[in-house]
Amino acid sequence: MKLFFLLKKELIEILRQKEVLAIMFIAPILQTIVLGYVVKTDVENIPVQIVNLSESPHAQRLVQRVVHSSLFDVHKITKRPGNTKELFQKGKITAVFVLRDSRKEPSEFRPYPEIQILMGGVDANTAQIAAGYFNGVARNYILTDLENKGLSLPVKNKTLIRYNPNLESINYMGPGIVALLLTITSMFLTSIGVVREKEQQTLDTLLISRLTPFEIYLGKTLPMALLGILEMFIGIGVVMVVFHISLRGSLGALLLAAVIFLFAILSYALLISIISTSQQQALFFSWFSMVIFILLSGLFTPVENVPPAFHWLADINPLRYLIEIIREIFLKGNGIAYFYKEIFILLGITGVVFSLSLLNFKRMVTK
Amino acid sequence: MKRIKAVTAKEFLHILRDPRSLLIVFILPVVMIFVLGYSLSFDLENIQTGLIDYSQSDLSRRLANKFSQNNIYQVKDLTHPQAQKDGVTHAEELLRSGKIKQYIMIPPDFSQRMKRNQVSFIGAVIDGSDSNIANIIHQYNQRVVQEFIQENTRFRDILDIHTKLFFNPENKSTFFIVPGLAAVIMIMITALLTSLSVSREKETGSIELLFISPLKSAQIIIGKTAPYVVVALLEGMIIVLFGRFWFHIPIKGNLLILLFFALLYIITGLSMGITISTIASTQKVAMMVSLLATLLPSILISGFLFPLESLTPILRAVSYVVPATYFLEIIRGIVLKGASWSDFITEGLALMGFCILFLAVATRKFNQERKVKK
Repeated sequence: MKLFFLLKKELIEILRQKEVLAIMFIAPILQTIVLGYVVKTDVENIPVQIVNLSESPHAQRLVQRVVHSSLFDVHKITKRPGNTKELFQKGKITAVFVLRDSRKEPSEFRPYPEIQILMGGVDANTAQIAAGYFNGVARNYILTDLENKGLSLPVKNKTLIRYNPNLESINYMGPGIVALLLTITSMFLTSIGVVREKEQQTLDTLLISRLTPFEIYLGKTLPMALLGILEMFIGIGVVMVVFHISLRGSLGALLLAAVIFLFAILSYALLISIISTSQQQALFFSWFSMVIFILLSGLFTPVENVPPAFHWLADINPLRYLIEIIREIFLKGNGIAYFYKEIFILLGITGVVFSLSLLNFKRMVTK
Repeated sequence: MKRIKAVTAKEFLHILRDPRSLLIVFILPVVMIFVLGYSLSFDLENIQTGLIDYSQSDLSRRLANKFSQNNIYQVKDLTHPQAQKDGVTHAEELLRSGKIKQYIMIPPDFSQRMKRNQVSFIGAVIDGSDSNIANIIHQYNQRVVQEFIQENTRFRDILDIHTKLFFNPENKSTFFIVPGLAAVIMIMITALLTSLSVSREKETGSIELLFISPLKSAQIIIGKTAPYVVVALLEGMIIVLFGRFWFHIPIKGNLLILLFFALLYIITGLSMGITISTIASTQKVAMMVSLLATLLPSILISGFLFPLESLTPILRAVSYVVPATYFLEIIRGIVLKGASWSDFITEGLALMGFCILFLAVATRKFNQERKVKK
């Protein structure tokens, strides 16, 4: 019963701050929509230049294909090789495709131009994608040309994409971004909470009450967990409606994962709050942790390749498991049987962080 | 000028009085660059691949070898699973549970058809749940099959593609990521640093003292920002040196040019923070707004991870109000391409515009509150 009144008090305190509520609910939803559109876009309109040194009709047609493709934004087509290095330096070009007549011995398939792809290594990732696209365009061109001649390549590769046949990244990026925003808001607000009370000395009032440290601890985390769950579901609802994403797995499993995750984040945030001596320190610690959690979550870049020295960081990152579960639920429509392992790991992380932070909280309180 | 100096000196004392916080401000970003510089990479290696070879012929083994010899793949032979399941069911299960990212199937008649000059097919089933990775796997597969065709059939020189990479011959993601990280981290840290400066005084009530002082609002705002310029500039230099000597990123351009633009960028971030600080009523709100305004936009709408060219026109417009967009262009240009002043006139002007705008808004807002109090 005592606990109930404490929870009520904490909840009232949060709800009284209209600005904080707006930041918790309105700002993340707006951001989710904007950022959703960002991650929805595939890499397209890559700025390229073509140097066509070949006079052959094949080269001409291939150039036309590149020009008409939405994958590339052809800045210039030249007939002469220029100083490519300078081109990359001055212009904003990612790759240059050079077509020339082959200089090798004539053979059966000689008519196709030889191709050189020059990539600006600044954004090597996009350049690689451009090279891959161009490879595909050239291959398709040759294939159709062969077919017109009644020939066909001897081996064909048939590809089937499972779970996400149209390769739409928004299906997991959308809910993923909601998870990121949830991490940012709930972690930050909680990490500031206790330091602020320490600074203003209102914590002492709580400490001299008859509440046990454990109850006070719950009072600091439960209301935020409640709001966090609410925020998550509103956010996911919004992305599902705006981006037409359907939930394939179970809502219950998502709720379970979200609750465990939130407890991990909130306990961690409270730990930060206990260690910090000023709001500024709490801010910097939680900012630091958020950025690491977010960038090593596997949402934007693959985590499998994180070097062994830092792999443990990815392994203890609770956000990574939540993202993985979101992917299972939203894309594969898998039941809990497929991700009970992630749930258990998440539980383990939560258990450790929770006990650590409770222990520290008790020590702080009894001092 | 003397008055600005006085405010600056006071603010400096505030910063120096809390050495623990100062230390945190300096150390955390370096740790971040260190960890993320190593860990963030788009490179894919060891793609877990199941292989079901029903043909078991010389040709099919040659194809299988092409996959397993490529260190992009980590090939597992699933042709004969132990349990009483057929290979495909087993592979589908592994795919579903995420143990493999794709499986490749070579049909029984693969070799016969090839020898009879008929088209033979191979199948690839890819886990599409991460669409970027699925795309890359598909591209790699195509390349392997194409090489196989060129090595084993009369279509030897049908497609002749050579690639060459400029500026970054070893194709290290680090060269792309670390300067980008520097830009992203600097905007976050600068905005966070000043986001507290005015709101803290509001909370403690000491702002009243500033209100009744003879100083002009602009002088207070500038005086409060100035000391952080020193802090942030030091921080920026540490990050650049760290990237140069730890990650061995060659700095092709002129360091002075970089320093100039970095200064501009730092002032942009700091004035953004102070604007938020004057508008927000508490420290909590100020910090929260600074976080939300800088964290995800700087990572996602700036060109740090996703190329800007792909964005729709509306989002492209949004990217122009994210300061990190401009500095990313500048730092990557100077560090990797050796660009000079003249390449960044627009970017420089844009950053300058941000500074003026933010400082003007902050001053105006500060003035308003001052009048209300009077």
